[in-house]
Amino acid sequence: MGSEAARGEELPVVARGLSKTYRLGFWMNRRVRALEGLDLELHPGEVFGLLGPNGAGKSTALKILLNLVQPSAGEARLFGRPPSDEPARRRVGFLPENPAPYEYLTGREFVRLCGTLCGLSGAELDGRVKEVLAVVNMERAADLLIRRYSKGMIQRIALAQALIHRPALLVLDEPTSGLDPVGRRLMRDIILAERQRGATVLFCTHIIPDVEAVCDRVAVLVGGRAVRRGTTQELLSAEAPRWELAVDGMGEEQVRALAAPSVEVALVAGRAVARGPDADVQALLRKVTEAGGRVSRLQPLRFSLEDLFMEALKEARGGTVGSEIE
Amino acid sequence: MRIRSFGALAWNGFREARRNRVTLVVGAFAVALLVSGMLLTSSTVAALERVLTDVGLGSMSLSLVLLSVFLSSGLLSREIERRTIFLVVSKPVSRGKYLLARQAGTMVTLTVLLAAMSLLFWGQLLAYGFPVTQPMLAAVAGLWLELLVITSLGLCMSSFAGQLTSGVVTFAAYLAGHLSTDLYRLASRSDSGSARALGKAAYYLLPNLEKLNFRGQATYGVAVEAGTLLEGAAYAAGYAAVLLALGVIVFSRRDFK
Repeated sequence: MGSEAARGEELPVVARGLSKTYRLGFWMNRRVRALEGLDLELHPGEVFGLLGPNGAGKSTALKILLNLVQPSAGEARLFGRPPSDEPARRRVGFLPENPAPYEYLTGREFVRLCGTLCGLSGAELDGRVKEVLAVVNMERAADLLIRRYSKGMIQRIALAQALIHRPALLVLDEPTSGLDPVGRRLMRDIILAERQRGATVLFCTHIIPDVEAVCDRVAVLVGGRAVRRGTTQELLSAEAPRWELAVDGMGEEQVRALAAPSVEVALVAGRAVARGPDADVQALLRKVTEAGGRVSRLQPLRFSLEDLFMEALKEARGGTVGSEIE
Repeated sequence: MRIRSFGALAWNGFREARRNRVTLVVGAFAVALLVSGMLLTSSTVAALERVLTDVGLGSMSLSLVLLSVFLSSGLLSREIERRTIFLVVSKPVSRGKYLLARQAGTMVTLTVLLAAMSLLFWGQLLAYGFPVTQPMLAAVAGLWLELLVITSLGLCMSSFAGQLTSGVVTFAAYLAGHLSTDLYRLASRSDSGSARALGKAAYYLLPNLEKLNFRGQATYGVAVEAGTLLEGAAYAAGYAAVLLALGVIVFSRRDFK
């Protein structure tokens, strides 16, 4: 029990039953539930992805962890302390969605200001400013006013300020949105480098390839609830293997008549293609060959996070979370 | 560390005003002084000193009050609207400290502008052979205190309302603040009990900015006693402290969606 508590003290992020209902309108009488009962536990040195469509509650969860929003219910902890605790936030670097740094400053001045707010000074601050500007490839544009920056450059400068104090926890809200392929690659490399350094990374996105590329663990948020969670491998292997069977010499309807209800049959480039669970596709294979059809392709289907995401979305449809409530 | 981050934020506020060319106000003031001086010397023969003092202090007051309403009412709301605030309040800086540092930055800006304008004004007086008197210094000090109260009110409003609402309310409070004693006298003569109560409530709630207005004394060369000045300073400091405390309480509880 004691060691459990001690372990909890050290965890970068712990959230228990985190919920948020926003009160909107002039009289504050409209209530919109953005997050419901989120449990989260991040371990040191892991990259954790919060995946979900727009309005799923991802950003709200991050804002609660950063003390930007107060939860309606539940509790959040950063390194065992509440998010309102300044020493706890000193160990966190944050990149918000569509960051808006002070545009009357140069990139270097802004990063320097953020470094000072995080407690750096003197030679250490000078050194870190140089280092992080190099990490995000912004040394050459660092002395231009931010109002002259492109969206990608603003994203890079905002990332630099998040890294300035070598945070133990890096929180990134949609870090690759609006970036070109080079910028996205850079962002992924930086996330992996931070993990290598020992930092914990929590980021939310709706861009699935980003999650597959860098995350150790994932939670899928739909309508404010976590509907799936686990390591990327666990989530993908938890699904029953599926196969694809292409048939020549038989019509779509003929193949459908032979197939079990769980098998989907469609006409693709003039050829009947069946997709379904392993056992049902094997049975269909036997029936097709007995009926004189010719199987031109039989291959396993790779279940992706995108499939998982879409399934979760279908299952959660109809919930009240994320929309106005009575 | 705490002082360093406070200083960095306050300095940033001053830098923001400077880079957004707020200092142009001083240039406009200098031109206004030059033009008014030329016009007044050609048309006014008697009491030139009084007229120059009145015009100089009046234009200084009007331009800085308008500027302080503009700066303070948009201080937080602009950052919240643009979401710049996410990058700052997520740092290990309390919201109260952030708000007070922003107030300090605005006051540094206004103090620099007030000092520059005062130097120009006194330069003009000396150029016409008039001395800088004690009431003139008191009037400038009173104006600084008035700016402190106005910016505190603007900042307090800005902690929960948008720029337009904050600006309108702050400017209305400035106007009413110079009339609160008159409002009280007028209401106390009313037959209606509720009108009397309303006048009394307005008198106690609104800032009494006439306590800080020594421009009349400066114009007519009437010395301002140290006690009066100290009383005004204590009143302004107390009023500003209450407004800032309210602003900190509201701002600390606010959600940034």
